[in-house]
Amino acid sequence: MNEPFDGWAVPLGSLADLALVEDRGIRYPVLDAGAARDLLTALRAAREDALLQDTVHERARLLGRAGARFLDPADPLRQEAEERLPATADISPEMARLVIDGMARDWTGERLEGLLAAELPQPEALDRFVLQPGGRRARAFAPALSLHVGAGTVPGVSATSMLRGLLMGSATLVKPGVGDVVLPVLLARALAEEAPRLARAVAVLYWSGGSGERAESVALETSDLVVAYGGDATVRSLRERMPVTTPLVAYHHRLSVALVGRSALSQERLPGVAVALARAVALFDQRGCVSPHAVLVEQGGAAGAIELAEALARELEGLHRVLPPTRPAPSHASTVHQLRRTCELRRAAGEEIELHAGPGASWTVVLEPAAKIEPSCLGRTVHVHSVADALVAPDLLEPVGRHLQTVGVAGLGERIEEVAAALGKVGAVRICPLGEVPFPPPSWHHDGRGPLSVLLRWVDLEG
Amino acid sequence: MVLAPAMPPFPEAAPAEPSFDRLVADLDSLFQQGVGEELDESAFNGWALRVFRWQFEHNTAFRGYCLGRGATPATVTSWEDVPAVPTGAFKRLRLLSAGEGREPDAVFHTSGTSRTEQRGEHFVASLRLYRSALLPAFRIHLLPDGALLPVLALVPSPQDAPRSSLSYMIGTVSEAFGAEGGGWFAAADGALKTEGLLRAIEEAVDTGAPVLIAATAFALAHWLDGLTRDGLRFALPEGSRVMETGGFKGRVRGVSRDDLYHGIVTRLGIPMNRVVNEYGMTEMLSQFYEPVLHRFQDSDTGLGDRLHVGPPWVRTRVLDPESLERVPDGEPGILCHHDLANLGSVACLLTEDMGVAVADGFRLLGRFPGAEPRGCSLAIEELLDAAQARGAKAR
Repeated sequence: MNEPFDGWAVPLGSLADLALVEDRGIRYPVLDAGAARDLLTALRAAREDALLQDTVHERARLLGRAGARFLDPADPLRQEAEERLPATADISPEMARLVIDGMARDWTGERLEGLLAAELPQPEALDRFVLQPGGRRARAFAPALSLHVGAGTVPGVSATSMLRGLLMGSATLVKPGVGDVVLPVLLARALAEEAPRLARAVAVLYWSGGSGERAESVALETSDLVVAYGGDATVRSLRERMPVTTPLVAYHHRLSVALVGRSALSQERLPGVAVALARAVALFDQRGCVSPHAVLVEQGGAAGAIELAEALARELEGLHRVLPPTRPAPSHASTVHQLRRTCELRRAAGEEIELHAGPGASWTVVLEPAAKIEPSCLGRTVHVHSVADALVAPDLLEPVGRHLQTVGVAGLGERIEEVAAALGKVGAVRICPLGEVPFPPPSWHHDGRGPLSVLLRWVDLEG
Repeated sequence: MVLAPAMPPFPEAAPAEPSFDRLVADLDSLFQQGVGEELDESAFNGWALRVFRWQFEHNTAFRGYCLGRGATPATVTSWEDVPAVPTGAFKRLRLLSAGEGREPDAVFHTSGTSRTEQRGEHFVASLRLYRSALLPAFRIHLLPDGALLPVLALVPSPQDAPRSSLSYMIGTVSEAFGAEGGGWFAAADGALKTEGLLRAIEEAVDTGAPVLIAATAFALAHWLDGLTRDGLRFALPEGSRVMETGGFKGRVRGVSRDDLYHGIVTRLGIPMNRVVNEYGMTEMLSQFYEPVLHRFQDSDTGLGDRLHVGPPWVRTRVLDPESLERVPDGEPGILCHHDLANLGSVACLLTEDMGVAVADGFRLLGRFPGAEPRGCSLAIEELLDAAQARGAKAR
């Protein structure tokens, strides 16, 4: 596995004669502005024939055929993904298998149909004008060419974004982040095998710095819509380089938490809660926008935050063995030791703090008063806070509301709607059972909006 | 005359230290011997254990921390077994080891790298110890020729910045070694007083009297930018020198160390081998210097070959970032300093700085190579900035 991974998948002939460079085990072409323009022109030209000859349902079927290959352990592309992911995405082989399973689950024809049904009452509106309630006709137009800029923190996210674009009928250029190159490239290759005509409207290409920046500028100027994942600074920088008329669908930094109600804190339910929580924290080594940073534990149950922190620590220790992390960066290990030892000192100084820590910098659970919610330093580091009542949680989360995404919940019973409404009010966009935290369903309102409908432009035909 | 009872062997039941002042006086006389006198391992160990015992007995948080780690004056026989305190803890705790009822002489604040970062506070029990630790090291590394020079300080004066340990330090060396003609050329907010500075530089050039410029790398870079913009160049008299500090942490935005030093050479006419980097931290009363003036007076060593050395009363270990075990010499790791001058707070500091042990010092690799934790989950600073911006708007 010393050969670098070829970090691109483009329609035949569109990248002839480009020099190749290698970075972190990925080889990619040096794309200058001219080559970028040629590629974008080729994608745009291919769109009509590649995407628009089929109905949206037919596209879902073809895309699903390619996507489903990643669920088959015997499929050579799935196997290549398993081999390539650990080194390129900095995750363990065990984690790689879990991530592929979780991501590719949503790439089948059936799930794509489900997504369509959930978001578009009349998917046929993508193919023709359809009659709307009230007698008006309307038709949905996808951007002729969309650019998807990935973050690279969680493998598979760019591939999902690519499928959404193609499903809507948009010629799609994916620029994945460096840690997420493998899955979109392999998915594009699967498409080339399963649906060669359709595959002519998609390209996946990693670039970085230097001439890559000029290529990126061309792509930003030329595309009809841009989907961007990444830090606030990345999103800001992209926005500044786009024409004001080009829509930007931005998935910026997000933070997630868990909220455990008192009825989940019984002897019978506590172990299950800890298992689900630990899994949510450990998956993606906590790099996901869905990964919980903090757990709020309601008082008044049979067990409380102390017991939950202990149980969570036990489960994280178990996962450390069966779902190991990769070796932490020195900077991260340093941050973790600073945090842990500072907690020890604060405890020694009389503060109400409990620290549970795994070997090295592997995982850390800090139980401390819920003065304020602080973002975790990640790498399986989670803060546990005791709160008097679930309805206190929204107030605590309000300061981070603009970045708040998922709140994994358990044990709220009848109060769930009341609590969910209060969480939604401060910014949360997804309240779900703890076990579902890592993988939202394909039809979720991604950061608060339908992932397909944000891509569309509607044309009303009146009279 | 009353005979003292026979003392049991050290350290199992060493006598309690009589007082903070007594320990300060003893350490003071050690520091007075200067940095030329090496302290052998067993002598350093003896001192470190005395300091550990004092801190264990007079700092509740530290004692609890040590007990939690199974370290007590009875079990710790080597300075390497003293539990290291993370520098981050200074942001959360008052780590004073001064004895009952004694208030600190000063409280220094860390500068913080962003507007929302919580600042650390170093409660300094004895400024006398700070002075006696900083003077000999400064003298041997900046003034090995015994020169008395005007100190042009590009930091705020101690009056303007009473919470700055750097201002205090430069004030102290100016008093001890400064000649007529020096001054403070930064306002309380750090803004440079460029006109006054220019006059001082011109005067030095006119009179032919060498000067010592003491500055943060950030202020220097800023000033040199201005000189470049104005097309000004000076040839400061031979014997002039620069102490710059703080650049290694990457806070000189957009300016590499090479460029900074090149600017000093071309704009001020001070050769590179008379520019000394000081590496210090608010949480620590002793400093490290590049021994360029002291050891290589006539040779121009490349920047890449430079190392930092501390005074004899400081030992630095390089630790594996994950296990915090000592790494073999030559391998990079986290720097952990053991500074006897920190008697009044905590002596053993786990930093966030990376370095490599070499010969009799270490090479600084900066803070956090490999940078930020990865995550589409949030960069902490962005989040806090956003929260603060909203708070500000609400007010």
